[in-house]
Amino acid sequence: MLVNKPNNEKVLKIFSAIRCLSRDQLPRYMEGRLTDVERHLVEQHLTDCDLCYDALTALEQEENTERYQDLTNKLQRYVQNSIQPVSHVQKVAQYTRKEKNKEHMLAYFWIIAFIGLGVGSVYVLRGHMRNQPPVRIMASSLPQKDSVREEVATGVPLVTAAENNPGTTTPAPAATPAIQTSAKPATAPVHPDSAALKKAAALKVLHKTAAADCIKKHTLLQKQADSLKKEAADKVTAKAEEKKPEQRPEQKPAAPKEKQKEQAPPPDPPKRETPSTAVNSDEYLYKAAMVYQQQGNLNEAINRYKRIESVSSGKYVEMARYQLAICYRSKGQAGKARRMFKEVIRMDGSMKAAAQQALDGM
Amino acid sequence: MQQQLTNLSDKELISRARKQLDREAESVLIDRYSHLLVAVTIPHLSSQPNLDPNIVFPALLQRLNASLKTQTIYKANEWILHIQKGYLGKPEKNTPFYPSRDGRDLLHIENTVDKAATNIIDRQDLIVRLEQALQRLSADDNALITQFYLENKSFADLTAATGLPREKLRTQLKAAKAKLAKLFMNQGYAS
Repeated sequence: MLVNKPNNEKVLKIFSAIRCLSRDQLPRYMEGRLTDVERHLVEQHLTDCDLCYDALTALEQEENTERYQDLTNKLQRYVQNSIQPVSHVQKVAQYTRKEKNKEHMLAYFWIIAFIGLGVGSVYVLRGHMRNQPPVRIMASSLPQKDSVREEVATGVPLVTAAENNPGTTTPAPAATPAIQTSAKPATAPVHPDSAALKKAAALKVLHKTAAADCIKKHTLLQKQADSLKKEAADKVTAKAEEKKPEQRPEQKPAAPKEKQKEQAPPPDPPKRETPSTAVNSDEYLYKAAMVYQQQGNLNEAINRYKRIESVSSGKYVEMARYQLAICYRSKGQAGKARRMFKEVIRMDGSMKAAAQQALDGM
Repeated sequence: MQQQLTNLSDKELISRARKQLDREAESVLIDRYSHLLVAVTIPHLSSQPNLDPNIVFPALLQRLNASLKTQTIYKANEWILHIQKGYLGKPEKNTPFYPSRDGRDLLHIENTVDKAATNIIDRQDLIVRLEQALQRLSADDNALITQFYLENKSFADLTAATGLPREKLRTQLKAAKAKLAKLFMNQGYAS
């Protein structure tokens, strides 16, 4: 058994795969310069491998040996020259392709980045522009402001007057006369006045107060527009209720004359020059009171009417009294209402008939 | 890279050349067999003077390159010899290379032996089966194989002992081995 064992292991040799003869082994085998073990391995392989055996038999013929060396070297050189450069070329091509791709990607990246930057800047600029205009107007409001004020002055001058009377701001009353004068280019020279106005505005009115004025004027103009609308609506309703259509057209020419005579409360000098503006102010106050009355704020309305009664003159006093009477009546103060109606009757104005009617109806 | 590739087996080089289109692996493989290819082709070149080695070898390499991508190659030496014979025998016809049944049997046994080298149990089993197959072989073949493989006798010794030329001795050995392989493969059915 022990003796047999090496033999047993050797059985496997029959079927063990052996590599082909190398370039070095082949001539050495032919010359018998191999060790026993190596030779045995080569011979084992030669039994299986036709290629190696054919090569061996071919080389054993004398004349082939020289050619063999020469051709083998040539073929090896050929293989190395033909195949390796190709692979090298391939590698170079791959590398260059990669680099090109990288460059392309970089170019795309920059294009996209610039587009994004452009879009972003446009967006930001638009946002800036949207926010800019009010700032610009505020910045340039110093020269432009007089035009706004002109509108105010020509349209309803007493708005500013009314604003100035209760208002505590000192620069505004100083500015208003100049504006009002500049509003009349026919009567007064324009250039010095506008220059004076600019100077006054530049000196006295600071940026913040100017902005505040702008806002105030905007709101006032809005209020005015609202009240005008409401007035129109009121007129319609009042006419329907009280059936006095000709009352106002009759009184409007009369009012300025009275105003010129009385002209008591407002200290503004230009009011004499513009009597219609006083009428307008009375009308405005009256309408404001009417608004309160319509809103149901009777106490405030009564206060306003009382002020009109005490301050203004002409038909507005009568109308204010009449409205006062109506306010009292709607408040349930029949005695006061009756007294007011009687006063209206005693004034013997255009509201007399209506007052009489109301008194009779009570 | 070249140095690392030369250490790889034929199988690995072929798979690299095929799957990864690694031309370096292909070149290493061709380089490994180039001297044998030259040696095998020289008799043809000398016998047929119209053949120019500057044309024959590049054409051969081209054929090898083409068939490397398409053919199943079990043994590189058999494949190269087949291509070379095909080219020199019938240059116009490109016959594909198919290993014979015997060749595949031999390859299978070689692979099992190779695997059993690291597994003692498998190896013992394989040894027993090979011994059994060897016993079934005819006495002449058995004696030849025993002398050549187990007793490490060289061709020279055997030719001297038997009086046969080397060529014949080799064919006999080859045939005996093929018989042994067949017996080994058919053992399962016989016993």
